[in-house]
Amino acid sequence: MTLNIGQTGKLDTGEGEISPAPAPVRVWDLPVRLSHGLFILLIVAAWWTESHGQMDWHIRIGCALIGVLIFRLLWGLFGGSTARFSAFLRGPVAVVGYARKLARGEPTDPSIGHNPMGGWSVAALLGAMTGQVCLGLFSVDTDGLVSGPLADRVSFDQGRFAAHWHGVLFNILLGLIGLHLCAIAFYALIREENLISAMLTGERRILIGPVSGPINALTSAPIWRLGLAAVIGLTVSLWAGTGFKV
Amino acid sequence: MSQRVKTFAKPASTGLCGLVLAAILGGLAAEAADMATAIKDRQAHFKEIGKATKAMVDQVKSPTPTLAVIQASAKTIDSLAPQLPSWFPAGSGPEAGVKTGAKAEIWTKADEFKKDAAAFAVEAHKFDMIAAGGDIGAIRMQAQAMGQTCKTCHQTFRQKDD
Repeated sequence: MTLNIGQTGKLDTGEGEISPAPAPVRVWDLPVRLSHGLFILLIVAAWWTESHGQMDWHIRIGCALIGVLIFRLLWGLFGGSTARFSAFLRGPVAVVGYARKLARGEPTDPSIGHNPMGGWSVAALLGAMTGQVCLGLFSVDTDGLVSGPLADRVSFDQGRFAAHWHGVLFNILLGLIGLHLCAIAFYALIREENLISAMLTGERRILIGPVSGPINALTSAPIWRLGLAAVIGLTVSLWAGTGFKV
Repeated sequence: MSQRVKTFAKPASTGLCGLVLAAILGGLAAEAADMATAIKDRQAHFKEIGKATKAMVDQVKSPTPTLAVIQASAKTIDSLAPQLPSWFPAGSGPEAGVKTGAKAEIWTKADEFKKDAAAFAVEAHKFDMIAAGGDIGAIRMQAQAMGQTCKTCHQTFRQKDD
């Protein structure tokens, strides 16, 4: 995996020599973990409020999700090394090669960040969520009573059209989330890798041996970029709530 | 001989049965078609209300509302609201075999349904009056009150929209 900023960190276990025990390696920076956690919370909350008729809250949650998505997409451009699209969106050769190794049960290079298949899964999830908030902005309910912040720019029929696809895309998103959870279960059960604790703590324990060679640990982005992405995300989120009124 | 009678009788009775069956089926088909039309008309009426409501809500939510749009919408809703119970002839529920969000409770709890529909008509008329008055604060309040009567009725009597 290539890194875009900072130096490639060769893992030093502190003992001078290569350690035979699994050593903790930083994989996910705080912004990645934070946005991941918020995605879970906001999707559950959006689903719950919609199914309980709390549409005012559903729309507020949607606007919050817009903010987190923008934050995460910006972080994918200039965030920590493992958060970047340029690092985790790999070509078909890498994806097929990785899939083949998984299918044969062969060891893979320890992934610091998304593996070649997981990267595209993340892209699909982010894409589905982005599509979902865009449709939600224009959606109108069947009574014309509840409508998204931008629904006043479209006709009733167009708003109903958006609402229809908002419902369809939600099911697609659920499918992608299901796939995501299956992959986590696969790694836990078949390959004995705990991806959940890595997402919670930001660290993975990796057996460093002569086979694996040097490990490219996570390279963090400077804090000011975190501030910048957060401010932009928050601003757009609040602005969306007003229907993008200038 | 008996065989002859049989050969004569058989087509005759079959024909008669066929006629009766055709009449029943035809009657059922006609009723089903009527119900399908009733449901289609009902959905068209509700869509008209929905369109007017959206146009009104767009303005009510706007910091610079156009009164004329609100007033036109209010007129439309007020003119349709009193007709609402007539859009639900018996048999146009889930048993009609056509996709409809109308629940059987509309007819099994007819009194409650009529009460809810009447409440909507009252609030819709009030909304029309207040819209004509042009006080946007009062319009916003009454839009809420009218919308609440929609929700109350839909909660009991309409299948949740998929």
